[in-house]
Amino acid sequence: MPLFAEVNVEALVMAAIILAITLGITFWASKRASSAVGFYAAGRQITGRQNGLAISGDYLSAASFLGIAGLIFLYGFDGFLYSIGFLVAFLTVMFLLAERMRNSGKYTIADVLSFRLNETPARAAAALGTFAVVTFYLIAQMVGAGVLIEKLVGINFTLAVMLTGVFMLCYVIFGGMVATTWVQIVKAVLLMAGIFTMSVFVLAKVGFNPVELFNRADANKSAESTFSLAPGTYLPKPLDTVSLGLALVLGTAGLPHILMRFFTVPNAKAARSSVVWAMFIIGFFYLLTTFIGFGARAFLGEGGVEAAGTGGNLAAPTLAAFLGGGEGTFGGDLFLAFIAGVAFATILAVVAGLVLSASAAFSHDIWSSIVRKGKDSEHEEVLVARIAAFAIGVIAIVIAVIGGSGLNVSFMVGLAFAVAASANFPALLLALTWRRFNTTGAITGVVVGVVSSIFLVIVSPKVWPGADSVTGSPIGWTLNNPGIISIPLGFLGCFAGTLLSREKESERTFDELFVRSETGLGAERALEKVA
Amino acid sequence: MTDWQRIERSDEFRELVKRRRSFVVPATIFFLVYYMAFILLAGYAPDFMGESIYQGLTVGYVLALTQFVMVFVLGLWYLRKSANEFDPLADKVVEAAARDEGDARFVRSDEAEVKA
Repeated sequence: MPLFAEVNVEALVMAAIILAITLGITFWASKRASSAVGFYAAGRQITGRQNGLAISGDYLSAASFLGIAGLIFLYGFDGFLYSIGFLVAFLTVMFLLAERMRNSGKYTIADVLSFRLNETPARAAAALGTFAVVTFYLIAQMVGAGVLIEKLVGINFTLAVMLTGVFMLCYVIFGGMVATTWVQIVKAVLLMAGIFTMSVFVLAKVGFNPVELFNRADANKSAESTFSLAPGTYLPKPLDTVSLGLALVLGTAGLPHILMRFFTVPNAKAARSSVVWAMFIIGFFYLLTTFIGFGARAFLGEGGVEAAGTGGNLAAPTLAAFLGGGEGTFGGDLFLAFIAGVAFATILAVVAGLVLSASAAFSHDIWSSIVRKGKDSEHEEVLVARIAAFAIGVIAIVIAVIGGSGLNVSFMVGLAFAVAASANFPALLLALTWRRFNTTGAITGVVVGVVSSIFLVIVSPKVWPGADSVTGSPIGWTLNNPGIISIPLGFLGCFAGTLLSREKESERTFDELFVRSETGLGAERALEKVA
Repeated sequence: MTDWQRIERSDEFRELVKRRRSFVVPATIFFLVYYMAFILLAGYAPDFMGESIYQGLTVGYVLALTQFVMVFVLGLWYLRKSANEFDPLADKVVEAAARDEGDARFVRSDEAEVKA
């Protein structure tokens, strides 16, 4: 296979522009990211609105943009179910965690968990949860990046993965959270601009009448098409739908790279307003995604299924080329290049956030607190964070290249959400709200959550015996999403472990954590702004 | 040493926790129930969800749109409630603590708010 199959010049130029902008940001940010609070938390100087944009940029992965548009194109309503779950999840974050995290944490979710628990085991448990989520999510994103860039820009999969990895590492290592935040903000703005423009083009074709778009989409399917305005085409088993719904609505509140964003704002009030900003941006985005998905169905029809590729991931770019005047025309190529560039920026912003959260878990929790018992200097901790980011990035690149484009991206994203909802969310919530909760409970909860969700995914029919199987795995397990079992198990693990032992110290210090998390007393301060 | 237990038992703090809980707990139960009801309908009643209300507009889509509305309304409502009710109560707790403890650390990070 040639390194440069059929290079799309416009798309390459678009990607180069985005890289130039983001590298400029990184250079600017590098001076502000030398201290620990600068590197992990951007000096806590990000405003609520900026953080809302950055959360959107951190959250809306290529899976959301291209994946959901593709699912709606192929299956109709079921694709939309994902959007609803991804959005409603922010209510969980807002009501239960956002302000409390900001008030009682410093850099990582382990800060909150270890506040009143036995430090070493609590940090180890939180780091385990973080690594499990980040591993699956990061590999999924890298593989997705490779496949998309290969298709859109025309460069080889391996090279595409490596390029993505190298740029992601540049942002994180040299620019820390400051660069990562601004890359996410730029991406969010580009993504919204891209999807808004496409939606206007789509709606213009149906006289700005969404119902007409639905009608045309529904009319444009053949007898054997999977597309339907009713649910049940992509998720034929009701219990799977429920299980997925549960994992989505609780999983976001356990994603380390999203929760880490709340440490970048000056106070709880800004944390709160950033969630609401994110809700509006993300909600608007998902509403527009439906126009893209239905537009692709209405205008490309059954004939577009092949061009849309596996999972329909290329439905949006194909539609863009059509809206611009068709493939091969100047307008069509330009629109395609623009959407390809947006997709590229989308991937970079998400992977940078993921790598940063994992490197913080390593340097802040494992190295500084557990190995060096807090005796290391701030300089050393940040240096270790940079080395950890490099190592994590290299491992992710290697796994993505070895696993290749055949790795199933959507199942890995689903797994990441299931682990987050089953391992991280229960332990965090209970540490903040339940006086009796203790170290044993946190460890059993996280371990049970991680192990049960990974085990249930391994034995799920899509993995074992493999995709398209109708028989289910050899042990007779037929559920594809583990959430409905593993989330209750995660909570049960927390309860059972807690009741097995008694920790007077943890119950006593609950007062402090409770007062701090509810009021912001003694919370970490923002750096003075250097003009 | 800060007496966290005393703050935790103070009337101001109890009032804050009570007021916030009486909003957050029902709101959380409401949104989880409303969302899961939608998911259950999508899973177990696909025909009902696929029924057309007006041309291509189905019951499922209308219900999905109400989920968006719910998120936006609850988000803004909570912002308002917090600004008008919970934040002033939290400020009272902080003031009382600063008075009693005489500790400079008890300045809330709000006061160092940065403008961008």
